[in-house]
Amino acid sequence: MRHSFLFTVIAIGTFSATAGCKIVKNVDPNEAGEVAAAMTDEERMANYAREIWDTDVIPTVAAHLVPLDELRSALAHDVDAAGEAHGLRPDGEANPWNFAITGTGSVIEAKTESRAAKLHLDTVGDGEIDVTLQLGPIVRGTTLRDAMPFLLFSNFRDQIEFAKLGNGLNAMAHERLTIPEGDLVGQTVTFEGMFTFKDLESTLEVVPTAMTVGE
Amino acid sequence: MKTNRRIFMSGLAGVVTLASTRIGFAQDKGLIAILTPSHDNPFFKAEAVGAEARAIELGYDTIVLVHDDDPNKQSELFDTAIARGAAAIILDNAGADATVAAVQRAKDAGIPSFLIDREIKETGIAISQIVSNNYQGAQLGAEEFVRIMGEEGNYVELVGREADTNAGIRSSGYHDIIDQYPDLVMVAQQSANWSQTEAFEKMESILQANPDIKGVICGNDTMAMGAWAALEAAGRDDVIVVGFDGSNDVRDSILAGGIKATVLQPAYRQAQLAVEQADMYIQTGTTGLEEKQLMDCVLINADNAADLETFSLSG
Repeated sequence: MRHSFLFTVIAIGTFSATAGCKIVKNVDPNEAGEVAAAMTDEERMANYAREIWDTDVIPTVAAHLVPLDELRSALAHDVDAAGEAHGLRPDGEANPWNFAITGTGSVIEAKTESRAAKLHLDTVGDGEIDVTLQLGPIVRGTTLRDAMPFLLFSNFRDQIEFAKLGNGLNAMAHERLTIPEGDLVGQTVTFEGMFTFKDLESTLEVVPTAMTVGE
Repeated sequence: MKTNRRIFMSGLAGVVTLASTRIGFAQDKGLIAILTPSHDNPFFKAEAVGAEARAIELGYDTIVLVHDDDPNKQSELFDTAIARGAAAIILDNAGADATVAAVQRAKDAGIPSFLIDREIKETGIAISQIVSNNYQGAQLGAEEFVRIMGEEGNYVELVGREADTNAGIRSSGYHDIIDQYPDLVMVAQQSANWSQTEAFEKMESILQANPDIKGVICGNDTMAMGAWAALEAAGRDDVIVVGFDGSNDVRDSILAGGIKATVLQPAYRQAQLAVEQADMYIQTGTTGLEEKQLMDCVLINADNAADLETFSLSG
């Protein structure tokens, strides 16, 4: 009797000790793939993008947000220093920096009817287009994917799967945006989003993760 | 007996390949084996030349071998490299699935492999896999194709060898752009296995069945050269041809007003980078980098073709 009582106490003790810990699994896209073997790469990666969007992607964007004006002067001073300070990029030679920015501009041109809908903004007040917000559903580039430190090419089967992940994240950005109707030209837009840095002259091709129109 | 036979076989493979092999001698840092597909395609030749030059600069002996996209031959060449006690293997491989076992065998023999251009479907076996960002490159090529086509017309796609991941990813990159334009209609899609002669033959027969084509988008430059030759022979030099690789042949064709565009893969630099990572790994036991790395591609058209030489862009 005594023995079994002791045993029970130990068992309960052990149980309650572990009960406080929650075992959190690392995200493993391959394992997700096994469960859903019947799905195409595109579907699987779309699901994975959805799964990590609110929990991992948006917090990473939020943690790296820089006001666009501040980033511009940092870039003009020294691109690599600006990159080290604010940017994100995957391993590899000559990979461009990705930046999360917040900014405000007025709409110079709006192409909201296209499958690759875009708002062209002037963010410095000279009347020229200097930022393009890619509203989608067709969104170019892989800035959202490449900026995420936890999305490593090595963890994916091949370039095809990795490319579909990029598309999946772009699709999530599009899905979460509300594109206002009516003529947007002349309106003020405030946005948060990511872009891949090319050079100091090019228009920034931003994938917005948040956007509000109006004063 | 089994072991003996294996050594004999690999010895034999060594003798066979030595006949068609260049061997460079340098300081005594060990041997780097460089394995690529046939040098008939200048892309692979540029890789071999780039890797060899960098390896010699860094003080290694080199052995340059060609597997001709044959996994069995590649397997024999791995045995050769293992038997020769190579310090590292630089590899543009003969198939994403078939290569896994060979790279594993080298690893078991203590020889690290550094892959360029093509991936394999496993991680944790090779030390580095440095590949061109084929999807990004294909999208650049497709955007240029759409622009020159004026967003409309019938077109043909020549796809690469199916066992090669790069064939699928480029096709996928092309279509993710082109399919957004409903007035661009694909009337034929065939594999010409990366081959110039095969592309020539396929293009001839496609053209007979579809005389009303306006453009041809190709998975690589050798197929673009084959397609262009067939089109020219049929008096159809009005057809818009776009390739992928950035070869000197296609550069010359672009400058002469033939092929319209291609996408440069930095093959020469990529091969050198693989050797640098191999050297780093041999010296320190780590490259300090992720295994799989992407390198961005660059669009080449009449504006910048003159700056292209042996898979690198100057200026």
